Amino acid sequence: MAGGGTPDSVGDLARERERFEREAAEVSSRDAWEALRLRWVGRKQGVVRALLAAIKEVPVEQKREYGQVVNLLKRRVESRLEELEGELERAERQAAIGAAAVDVTLPGRRPALGSLHPVSIVTQEIVEIFSAMGYSVAEGPEVEEDYYNFQALNFPPDHPARDTQDTFFVEGGKLLRTHTSPVQVRTMLEREEPPIRVICPGRAYRFDNDLRHSPMFHQVECLVVDKGITLGHLKGTLEAFVRKLFRPETGVRLRPSYFPFTEPSAEVDITCPFCSGDGCRTCSDTGWMEILGSGMVDPRVLAECGFDPEIYSGFAFGLGLDRVAMIRFDIPNIRVLFENDERLLRQVRG
Amino acid sequence: MDFSRDWIGQYVELPAVDELAAGLTEVGLTVEGSTESDGDVLLDVDVTTNRPDCMCHLGLAREVAVRFDKMLRVPSIQLAEVNEPAADAVEVALADGGGCPRYVARVVRGVKVGPSPGWLRTALESIGQRSINNIVDITNFVLWESGQPVHAFDLAKIEGAEIVVRRAEEGEKLTTLDGEERRLDPEILVIADAARAVALAGIMGGLDSEVGERTTDVLIECAHFDPTVVRKGAGRLAMHTDASHRFERGADPEAPKWAAARVAGLIAEMAGGEILAGAVDQRSEHYPAPLAGRLDLGRLEAFGGVEIPREEVVRILTGLGFELAPDGESAWQVAVPSWRYHDMKFTRADGAVYEADLFEEALRHVGFENIPSALPPVEKPDSGSSAPHEQRQRIRSYLAACGLAETINYAFHAAADDGSFGIWAEGEPIRVANPLSELYDVMRRSLLVGLVDSAWFNIRRGAEAVRLFESGHLFPAAGAPELETVGLVMGGARGMPWQRRTELDLFDLKGCVEGLAAHFGVSVEARVADPPGVVAGTGATVHVAGRLEVVGWMGRLELDTPYPVFGAELEVGALAEGERFSTVSAPSRHPAVAVDLTLTHAADLPWREIESAITSAGVENLTSFGLKDRYEGEGVPSGAVNTTIYFVYNAEDRSLTQDEVNSRQRALTEKLEARFGWRQA
Ligand SMILES: [Zn+2]
Repeated sequence: MAGGGTPDSVGDLARERERFEREAAEVSSRDAWEALRLRWVGRKQGVVRALLAAIKEVPVEQKREYGQVVNLLKRRVESRLEELEGELERAERQAAIGAAAVDVTLPGRRPALGSLHPVSIVTQEIVEIFSAMGYSVAEGPEVEEDYYNFQALNFPPDHPARDTQDTFFVEGGKLLRTHTSPVQVRTMLEREEPPIRVICPGRAYRFDNDLRHSPMFHQVECLVVDKGITLGHLKGTLEAFVRKLFRPETGVRLRPSYFPFTEPSAEVDITCPFCSGDGCRTCSDTGWMEILGSGMVDPRVLAECGFDPEIYSGFAFGLGLDRVAMIRFDIPNIRVLFENDERLLRQVRG
Repeated sequence: MDFSRDWIGQYVELPAVDELAAGLTEVGLTVEGSTESDGDVLLDVDVTTNRPDCMCHLGLAREVAVRFDKMLRVPSIQLAEVNEPAADAVEVALADGGGCPRYVARVVRGVKVGPSPGWLRTALESIGQRSINNIVDITNFVLWESGQPVHAFDLAKIEGAEIVVRRAEEGEKLTTLDGEERRLDPEILVIADAARAVALAGIMGGLDSEVGERTTDVLIECAHFDPTVVRKGAGRLAMHTDASHRFERGADPEAPKWAAARVAGLIAEMAGGEILAGAVDQRSEHYPAPLAGRLDLGRLEAFGGVEIPREEVVRILTGLGFELAPDGESAWQVAVPSWRYHDMKFTRADGAVYEADLFEEALRHVGFENIPSALPPVEKPDSGSSAPHEQRQRIRSYLAACGLAETINYAFHAAADDGSFGIWAEGEPIRVANPLSELYDVMRRSLLVGLVDSAWFNIRRGAEAVRLFESGHLFPAAGAPELETVGLVMGGARGMPWQRRTELDLFDLKGCVEGLAAHFGVSVEARVADPPGVVAGTGATVHVAGRLEVVGWMGRLELDTPYPVFGAELEVGALAEGERFSTVSAPSRHPAVAVDLTLTHAADLPWREIESAITSAGVENLTSFGLKDRYEGEGVPSGAVNTTIYFVYNAEDRSLTQDEVNSRQRALTEKLEARFGWRQA
């Protein structure tokens, strides 16, 4: 029997089942599945329904077996349809995912951010450390008068200490400030009375040009004037500062030295940030690195700026920012800092 | 400066060399290195300019003695003098008492000039000095022993046996020991005899009167010269000697007498001869007065922030040569040793030395490492304002967020580049009188000079795009206040195609400038102008909206670069005018309606006119509008351009109907078309 003819035996049912399996194996779309379902279990012209109806025509002795086999076939058709539907859904889902698939290992598009200069970054870090301690930022001109740069800071004319300052002069008698200390003088002269707690970041200039020196460089100076300021306060402030700027375990050493505007004066060494004090090439195996100059404000400077040294005292220190930036960012020489190579600048993270 | 460990050891008992170096460093005489040689150790000591008294072995020994609590052994001098007084053999006149406050002369007759004994040669050679003959070596030895420069003359060569300390005459000549003939002038102090200059005072002796093999009678000069006079004279002659180095820094006015006797004694010992009786010792009215001050232990402790036993203060200061006389319970009148006069000569108005000068001496020997650390009490924050710094920091952060890299350029550049950019120059630039080179001889009047250098630096290294900024001072003219600006340069194409490549143009740059101003609550506008260094037709001045004053400039830079480079510069003062804190207005809760209009108009019609026509039309519920796109090319008549404008309508209190929006937009469109619409000529 082929097509819609009436089955007359259980043997015919076996052939119907083979036909279903063949048709089911060919289903690859929702439409084909739907056609298969209608053809076999559709309410109107479904094969299974017709087979069930045909039981009337089956000889009595075969009716029981025929009925059992048709029911088996019905269950098989239904379960296979269900199975096929699941397969189709999975295939559809797979197809849908395939269309959106990406290579997630491709590089992301980063926003085109710029960068801050290494010197700006360390300047700001230092400003923030001191702002938190109640300091404000004071600034001043870069073309400066001899009075503020030297005389008021206890560098008399013809003083040998001026030799160490390698000054650029400009026409008309002024000079390019050799340190940011003149800002201290200007601040003291402007203020009626202490307390003064300022830091003065800025550019300064010296006649110098080699791998370690640039004719323009950056400094930050700190000045505190009040009643009862001690050398111990200078030491404590320096320690708090360098431990925030470098590592918390940084060691600090003060060596007595000489600057005309402080007395006593001290050079300040920190444990080498590269070797933590064990000794390396950068620190010439000493374990120490000289990073700043400091001292108690010289009474002559206080007096010149209108503060009675019998009543007030103060401390000051100055730090080369370029040096700190070079240490922080591992920059090999100072010229690199001012070449402005974008390939280098854009590596800097704040 | 190099010193011999063994030589110092002549005057004080020494610890191991490491301990010695650490001890000297701790009291302010930093030992920068040490080298062993022939059993001795050479110490490289950084002696600061205020401590000429430590530029000799005895001076260092004094510090070591105090630091390690040992006895200082100053060599004692016993002279066997003959009856003839030195004063009969030589006459000394201080014609310039300011230049020479003291001159001590001694005479030794009948010496035998010859080689120095081994110990003397060893001592001098250990610190790199060359042995010459016994007399010269002794003078050199005493300089390195006591710090007092000494000169020995052949007395026979001193015309009239007469010494006059005076200024040189204009054009006067002297051949110095180094064989150079020097032309002198009145800036230079000389030692002269009855006929001519025989030495440069405090700098170098003359060749004619030097001690040689045939010398028999020696005139020993130990003088005290004024630091400034020696410094100016040495500077004039471009000379620098061991003697001038010490005189310039302030020698010990009491040392000449001791040193002259010491030299005479050593000469008699090593070269024979007879020491004439006494010394000729002339002082001028410029001889320094003794210095003293008061030291109060309580104030010292308060200044140092450390407790110091009374006897320790006495031990330290006494050991350093100060003389203490009690003045009250725990205070002293302190007399300063003569070798520290120069360092402490700037006294209080009442003539007393500042107590800080004495505190320093005590504290450096107490040891800075023994001072407890503390933070100063903060009762209230400093009264100053950090506003300019904070503003600069916000500018930097904003421009970095815009994609620009911050640069720092030198503030000076070649004079030829002055005027190439910028709008703030007034007359002549400030010139550096002693520039490093002519590449750096004027102060900048635009940040773009340096920024363009930086742009070139990157372009030459193959940069496909440059995006740089700098903030800094300009120097518009001598006497004019410095002006702070921020400068920007931009050009090229940023990013690979994968990153959605952008060709940077003038409007990328302008957007940064506008955005920066807006970040500070300031609205800026560009007006057509022709600033220096800008390609014609691309330049503008920048103004705070509606104001006349120029606060900046921008344009495509006139450069021979492989791609167009754009530049701008803005006075940061203009940014200070905006509201520091921004406020917001809540958007309407009702839906907005967006409409576009494409207007075909003449290409030379400025956008600003369209913009202000829309604004002044005062359309109800038009909450925003702006440029959506510009197009010229196919489909657009030549000489015209298509400008697409977006409009957003919204009401605070209700939803607008499409009809309402359409009718308002229609009226606006008609107005704009009528006024600006393209008509074929
Ligand atoms: Zn190291």
